[in-house]
Amino acid sequence: MTPVRRARLGLATALVALAPLVAHAQAPAPQQPAHPDALALRKANYAWEGELLRVSFSYRDVLADPALVKKLSSGLPMVIAMRAYVYREGDVTPVALAPRVCRVVYDLWDEVYRVHVSEPERERDQAAVLDGVFRLCTEARDLPVVQRRLLAAGEAYFLAVVVDVNPVSTEMVDQMRHWLSRPTGSTGIGPTDALFGTFVQLFARQIATSDKTLTFRTEDVTP
Amino acid sequence: MRRAPLILAFLSSLLPALARAQAVRTWGTSEEGPPAAPAAPSSPPEPPPVTIGRPAPGSTSAPHEPATTSALPAEETPSRGPALSATGIVRTPGAVALKYTLEGIEVRGNKATRARVVLRYVPLRAGDVLDVNDPELALTRFRLLGTGFFRDVQLSLRRGTQRGFVVLVVDVVERNTLVVDDVWLGISEDVSSNGSARPLTAYGGAAVTETNVAGTGIALGGAFAVADRQLALRVRLADPQFLGTSWLADTELLYNAARDFFGNADVLVDDPTQPSAQDFAVAQYTRLGGRVGLGHDLGISSQVFFDYRFEKIDATLPLAASDHRGLDVEPIDFMLLPGTSVLSALRATVVHDTRDDPFLPTVGHYATAMVEAALTPLGSDYPYAKLVLHGSQWFTLPWGHVLHLEGFAGGVFGDAPLFERFYVGDFSDLLPDRVLGLDFDRRPAPNLLSTDIVEIRYGNYAAKLDAEYRVPIYRGRRSIYGVDVFGSFGLYSVCSQEDIVDPPRGYTGLSVIPVDLTFNAGLRIDTQAGAFVLGIANLVGFVPFRGPQGGAARP
Repeated sequence: MTPVRRARLGLATALVALAPLVAHAQAPAPQQPAHPDALALRKANYAWEGELLRVSFSYRDVLADPALVKKLSSGLPMVIAMRAYVYREGDVTPVALAPRVCRVVYDLWDEVYRVHVSEPERERDQAAVLDGVFRLCTEARDLPVVQRRLLAAGEAYFLAVVVDVNPVSTEMVDQMRHWLSRPTGSTGIGPTDALFGTFVQLFARQIATSDKTLTFRTEDVTP
Repeated sequence: MRRAPLILAFLSSLLPALARAQAVRTWGTSEEGPPAAPAAPSSPPEPPPVTIGRPAPGSTSAPHEPATTSALPAEETPSRGPALSATGIVRTPGAVALKYTLEGIEVRGNKATRARVVLRYVPLRAGDVLDVNDPELALTRFRLLGTGFFRDVQLSLRRGTQRGFVVLVVDVVERNTLVVDDVWLGISEDVSSNGSARPLTAYGGAAVTETNVAGTGIALGGAFAVADRQLALRVRLADPQFLGTSWLADTELLYNAARDFFGNADVLVDDPTQPSAQDFAVAQYTRLGGRVGLGHDLGISSQVFFDYRFEKIDATLPLAASDHRGLDVEPIDFMLLPGTSVLSALRATVVHDTRDDPFLPTVGHYATAMVEAALTPLGSDYPYAKLVLHGSQWFTLPWGHVLHLEGFAGGVFGDAPLFERFYVGDFSDLLPDRVLGLDFDRRPAPNLLSTDIVEIRYGNYAAKLDAEYRVPIYRGRRSIYGVDVFGSFGLYSVCSQEDIVDPPRGYTGLSVIPVDLTFNAGLRIDTQAGAFVLGIANLVGFVPFRGPQGGAARP
């Protein structure tokens, strides 16, 4: 076989090998804990309301940073978003997801926190003092989690919880990137042509995340 | 080296001027502290009880107890539109919807950056209605972070002097704004002054930018590249908000003292100062000129740029030179006019960028389209037009790895100078890329497919298809942001019209198609200090496994 034919055969083989990768390429799924069962353990209270599993747990320590507490009083909205994934012990794929979003803003002139909580089954607006904000925004009480029929009887399940303070949305990231890329303007094919192009990444990491992320898992519950 | 003091002086001139700017309070009364915060728990908090249903076995729930909260009674949400209270505060439906009247803006924490630079990025002015849910407020923070001037930016409100009025406070923490954009180091095979081949020569360079000169928000950058008897210098000034408008203004000065190498090991040169039989013919030229440009956003992910270039070129060329092309001996076209000539050109570029990360993207695409036309009526000695299309797409595979597909196509129509033509080294990973327009290497394409691409150094047309597979092996949030292992494989072609309609004699079959393979493997490392690519291809390029270098048909 001549070198040309060998190279052509190699190229064809490489393209065939790449084809299935492209075919299965997809957008990433919403982020969930990579190793849920290895997260730090935290107590939770479970209850069955008929066929519905409810849970109460606290993530008050997500606001342990005094800077975040101070930010609560900034007069601008603050979002505390909690996602509770239901996993069977030993599995890496969740069977259910219960989110809870708390949006709080300090009313400068009435000196009260105005809180909007969204969770499965209900949405509510409340006015609260600071301690009330902690209770409303960093505690899940009677959170409806999963129907019994989605769980295997006799198997142990737990919640893997991710709490983000001021998470940045995809749309926001796009708009941020828009601003980050302003000084660039390089059009070359090679990286060596860019005079200004690389420094923007220094800031992308900092602002493309939430102010604080807390992850933990709860104790098991067996249906 | 005699140019070293010049380079040092050049770099020194780029150091940012130390400017003093006071933290400017555009408005404000005494600062008010936030309400006292409850003590934050240091250990995981105990769970509240469940109050609905039957406690599950194994649950740590305490017996039922009434829920307690310090929340005030739930507010009644207005059933109709926004209500304007007599005090000037507007509460629209939803308890967290508040609107105030903006009394002023206060900038704090700025030492080098002038307050007016910060205020450029704040789309509000005194007297405006401030909606706390306005996404512009959050974007303002990101805009300020995106300038690169600040390590942190926080926005907050405080009471104004009368009920319903507030002051917007912008707290900034400045950062080092002197940034190393790029560093180039490598070895190449070049040519001595008498045209004979030399084994290895080192080259290097760097690009540095002060992104906030004297706190004005203007970026000043400089770059240099140096090799044996070659030097390139750049100075660039960019104002992201030119004259307070939404236009980006950009200007660049350039100087190149360059050499380029033609032929393929046995050329004949008509040059009274040099031997007639040489390994390579050498063209020497200088470029002195500049570019001015304007850029504007077309949307969140798209931008357009318009540039005008003007350069004076002084070229010292052999009177004539010839080299083998296939079985024939043909004159060498140096693609430069001897003596002094002028390049004058207009360029328009559109960029569409949806990548999720500038260096280690996992999804999104990056596409550019560029068209350039030399302005012969305005003095250009090089009548040409150039069109370049470039697209990249990133896919995250189900198992977390990343696939990057890239395509490039370009054409030059007319008599462009050689530095505007497509060079094989820019497409092959096995040869050094051009740096700031300098070409360091005399070697032809690796010619792994044994085609007539070995006869081609510069071409008027180029195309490339490339695939890269990346495996993330580390992700961090401090000094090192990410490390990926990558392997890439591509196919490219560089040619001119004559290579298509009149291929070199002696090549037959598919070998008349000037294509070649390229590949690379290594690490992509994203760090706080910048991004680095450690690849093996440049070193592999020195391993003598290439295809026929003298040309398949060379006698």
